[in-house]
Amino acid sequence: MSPELLEIVVWIVKVHVIFLGMVGVAAITTLAERKVSAWMQYRHGPTRVGPQGLLQPLADGVKFIFKESLVPDGANKWMFRFAPALAAGPAMLTVAVIPFGPDVTLFGVTTPFSIVDLDIGLMYILAIGGLSVYGVIVGGWASNSKYSLLGGLRASAQMVSYELSMILAILSVVAISGSLDLREVVMQQKTLGEWNILYQPVAFLLFLIAAFAETNRHPFDFAECEPELVSGFHTEYSAMRFALFALGEYCAMVVMSSVAVALWFGGFSVPFMPEAHWTLGILAFCAKVTCFLFFFLWVRWTLPRFRFDQLMNLGWKVMLPIALVHLFITGAVISFAPQLKSLWNGLVNGAS
Amino acid sequence: MAEILFYVLSAAALLFGLGVVLAKSPMMSVLSLLGSFFCLAIIYLLAGFQFLAAAQILVYAGAILVLFLFVIMLLNLGEMGAIAERSNSFLDSTSARIGAVIAVGMGVVGLAAASRAAFQPVRVEPGTGLDGLEAIATELFGRYSLAFEAASILLLATIVAVIALAKRQRRGLKDGGRA
Repeated sequence: MSPELLEIVVWIVKVHVIFLGMVGVAAITTLAERKVSAWMQYRHGPTRVGPQGLLQPLADGVKFIFKESLVPDGANKWMFRFAPALAAGPAMLTVAVIPFGPDVTLFGVTTPFSIVDLDIGLMYILAIGGLSVYGVIVGGWASNSKYSLLGGLRASAQMVSYELSMILAILSVVAISGSLDLREVVMQQKTLGEWNILYQPVAFLLFLIAAFAETNRHPFDFAECEPELVSGFHTEYSAMRFALFALGEYCAMVVMSSVAVALWFGGFSVPFMPEAHWTLGILAFCAKVTCFLFFFLWVRWTLPRFRFDQLMNLGWKVMLPIALVHLFITGAVISFAPQLKSLWNGLVNGAS
Repeated sequence: MAEILFYVLSAAALLFGLGVVLAKSPMMSVLSLLGSFFCLAIIYLLAGFQFLAAAQILVYAGAILVLFLFVIMLLNLGEMGAIAERSNSFLDSTSARIGAVIAVGMGVVGLAAASRAAFQPVRVEPGTGLDGLEAIATELFGRYSLAFEAASILLLATIVAVIALAKRQRRGLKDGGRA
C-alpha cells in the first residue's frame, strides 16, 4: 500500500473510531443521567431494557426514530427542520481536534490518536463550539411559540455572556503553555507536578462555571427551564429532531470535559507513569473525562436553578472581572518572571 | 482545486450577501450574513490564515451575529410582517438612496485602492500556527498598537454614548409620567 493511501485509510479509521465513540459516549451519558439521578433520589431508574437497563439508550433511539416528527402549523418550516442540525453539528465537529490519546501503534502503523492536530485547536473549539447557540436560537424562533422564543432569547444572552469568561480563562492557560495546540498543551503536563491545575486553579474554576452555562446545563439551563418555559426552546420538537438537540447537549458536555482534562489535568498522561503504554493513556483520558461527566450529572441533581438576573450578574459582574484580572496577573507574572525570580532569591538569601 | 474552491466560495459569499439585503424576514438576513461570514472564513483558510479564519468565526459568527439575533428576537414577532412589507419599498426611501450612493462610492474607492495597491499591507507571513499568531500579535500590539487602542476607545465611546442616550430617553419618560 502506498504511503498516501495508507494515510487516508488510517485517517478514515480514526474518524470513525473517534466519532462513533463520541456519539456512543453521549448515548451512554443519557442513561447515566437517569441512573445517577435515580441513585441520588433513592430510586432504581430504568431497569427493564437489557441487564440493569443498560440497553435503554438503544430503546430510546428506536423510539425517537419511529415517533411522529411534528412540525407546528405556525412554524417557519425550513428553519424549524434546520435548527436541530445546527445544534448538534458544531458540538460533534469540535471532537476533531481533541487529543484522546498519545501516539497509537497498531498493525505496525503509528499515528496520534486524534482526528487532526490543529495548531489553533483551541481557537477552533471555541469558534465552532460557539456556533451551537444558533441551533437553540433558530429552533426557539422558528417554533413560533412564546416559550420557545423566550428560551432562545435566554440562550443567546447567556452563551454570549459566558463565552467571554471562558475564553479569558482558557487564554491564561494558553499564556503559560505558549500554544493553542491541545496536544502540545497536554505534552507539557507529563507528570503530576506539571498539571496546569496546580498553576491555574482560578482559571479552571472560571472555565468550569462557564462550561455549565455554555452547555446549557443545570444550574444554568434557563433555555429550557421547565417550571417557567414548559421545556424552553425545544418545546415544539419531537422525535428525532428533539433527540438531535439532546445529542448536541451531551456531545458538548463530552467536549467541554475533554477540554478541561486536556488543559488542566494532563490529558492522556498517566499519573506516576510518565512512560505508560498508549492504551493506558487513552484509558486515563477516558477515566478523567468520566469524572467530569459525573460531575455534570452530580451538579444537576444537587443544586437548585439560578434566577436569570442572578445568572447575568454572575457572568458580567463577577466572572468577567475576575477572569480579566486573572489574565492580567498571569501575563504580568510571565513577563516579569526573571525579575521575580531574582527578587525571590534575594529575599531568601537576605533572610538566611 | 483551491482556485475552483475560491471562486465557488466567493460566489456563495456574494449570493449570501445579496440574501442579507433582499431577504424579507430579518432573521433570514442574519442567517444569510452567517453563511457569508462562513464562506469568507474558508477563503482565509485557503490563503493559509488559520488564525484569521478562526477569529472571523469566533468574533463575527459566534458573538456579533448572536447579538443581532438577540435584538431581532426582542422585536415583537407581530411586527415582523410590518418590517417585511416595508422592505419591499426599501429602494424608494430617500435614506436608502443616500445609503446606496455612499455604498457605491465606497466600493469605487475600495476598488481603486486595491487596483493601485495604494495601501501598505501588514507584513504577516501566511504562516500556520503560533508563528503566524505571534507575528500578528507583534504587529497588532507593537507597530499598530496606537491604531488598535484607538479603535477600542472608539468602540467604548460608542457603547457609553448608546447607554447615555438610552438612559436619557428613559429618564424623560419617567419625568413625563410623574408630571
